[in-house]
Amino acid sequence: MSLPSTRMYTRWMRYILIALALGFFLIPILWLLQTSLKFKIEMFKLPPVWFRFKPTFTNFEYVTGSMPVFKWGWNSIVISFGTMILSLLLGVPAGYAFSRVRFRGRFLLLSFILLARTLPPVLIVLPFRILMQKLGLFGTRLAVILIDTIYNACFTAWLMSGIFEAVPEDLEEAAIIDGCGIFKAFYRVVIPLSLPGLVTSALFAFIYSWNDFIFALTLTAPATATLPLGMLSTFGMMSVGWTTMAAMGVLSVLPVIVLSLLLQKYYVSGLTFGGVK
Amino acid sequence: MRRTLKKHFYKEYIALFLIPLSLYMVVFFLYPVIYNIVISFFDYSLGAEKTFNGGKNYLLMLRDEQFVGSLKTTILYIIYCVASQLFLGILIALLFNIESKIIGFFRTLILLPTVFTPLVVGLLWKALYHPDQGFLTYYMRLIGLNIGRGLLVERHLALLGIVIIDIWEWTPLVAIIVLAGMKSLPKEPYEAGMLDGAGKFALFRHITLPLLKPTLLIALLIRTLDAMKTFDTIFATTNGGPGTATTVANLRIYEVGIQQLHIGYAASMSNVLLVAGVVLGMVFMQVLYSNRGRNK
Repeated sequence: MSLPSTRMYTRWMRYILIALALGFFLIPILWLLQTSLKFKIEMFKLPPVWFRFKPTFTNFEYVTGSMPVFKWGWNSIVISFGTMILSLLLGVPAGYAFSRVRFRGRFLLLSFILLARTLPPVLIVLPFRILMQKLGLFGTRLAVILIDTIYNACFTAWLMSGIFEAVPEDLEEAAIIDGCGIFKAFYRVVIPLSLPGLVTSALFAFIYSWNDFIFALTLTAPATATLPLGMLSTFGMMSVGWTTMAAMGVLSVLPVIVLSLLLQKYYVSGLTFGGVK
Repeated sequence: MRRTLKKHFYKEYIALFLIPLSLYMVVFFLYPVIYNIVISFFDYSLGAEKTFNGGKNYLLMLRDEQFVGSLKTTILYIIYCVASQLFLGILIALLFNIESKIIGFFRTLILLPTVFTPLVVGLLWKALYHPDQGFLTYYMRLIGLNIGRGLLVERHLALLGIVIIDIWEWTPLVAIIVLAGMKSLPKEPYEAGMLDGAGKFALFRHITLPLLKPTLLIALLIRTLDAMKTFDTIFATTNGGPGTATTVANLRIYEVGIQQLHIGYAASMSNVLLVAGVVLGMVFMQVLYSNRGRNK
């Protein structure tokens, strides 16, 4: 049995360490947020001024007024939604088949499919670029959607196969014997029971393409550039400085942060590949 | 009779659901990967004729100090990142393993770095590390750390600088995986251990750690595979510099393949990553698959 005083001591140690951890992970984010609200001159003050400054929206006004942020944002949105839809269309049926049919080489095929996600992007992007040039798709948003989908459709198939396995087969068999078609049984009986998995898959496809940089960097043209690329070119013009960069940064992470917080439960289950419960 | 026939037929039919994804993967994934293998045996640069040169690219690669150096940097980067993330991840999981509303809220908050756009993470930390104006540099100097002209500018410190960025970005993920693992541990061994008079540390060392092994292995593999993919944050902060201090293989391949357009040679280099990725990926699949089976 430990003495009350040592117990107090360890409890306080714990709180201090928790505070340190929170500081480490959150201070950079707070810095980004407050820098986006600062005037350029205040930005350079050292020691840094924390929170005691007059906030301004000039940076956001500058970014939205003088830079094609809406074009970049639109490209990001099109690519993210395109990837999400295509990944679900390809991945969900495949995941269903994996969960229902036992065939030889099933594990091998499933491995091959998840392997796609584990390989470094730089490996795929070199030959993929040549393929896109041959197909005349180089520089289009579709090219980025197609390559993002490789990663996400496979992830969806893996995740959904686990989800579908939890749906009892009797249900859909009963529906089929009752005269439901196979597609209808899948659509009406299985899908509604697997909504959490679908939300996770969709969320991850969206976040993945929203955050993608290397594929957009190597496959898009200026007219199809996404937000991260826009940010990089903003940063390249050093004259605009960090306050502008911070405003761009806030705008480009805001959607994924809001989504991950709103759909927190699904976000966590996807982060762990559905492998740890 | 009719029932079983229908049931059988239905399974055959469902196998067809695999076709769209399989076709897609053959065209957009397998074909590029195989093309990459083929092209690695050619001398193929932009504006020049493609000529077969056997394994010359591979021989060249072995003697290419820049590439071999970048592989070493990659391995060091992965080891530093994964080791510190596992250590800190377990520590944070232990700290945050309390049932309380506030702590639950904090658990959500520390996950924020994992959802940040990696390029934004890179630019953000570049600003924090700025030699003159970065507040991190300012505080580091204030507490007397000898960081020379700045963490990302000094050759011997730059790798540490980008490792810290990865620690910031991905330790929360390890912590969450470990926390989930801890929640599913059985209670009995602890009761037995406490009856035997074991202290907190002994319980952790002899019960928690061994039971968490499969979970830790998954975290280790996920992080190793992801660390091998790191490109955005390094590209945005140091772009491989100073000199080649932070040039990981991904950056080197990008330089040679996309910027200088020596496509054949870049392909041969990237195939080293292909082999490493396939081997690690297969191990990962085995672990993940057996883990999922056990949890059922």
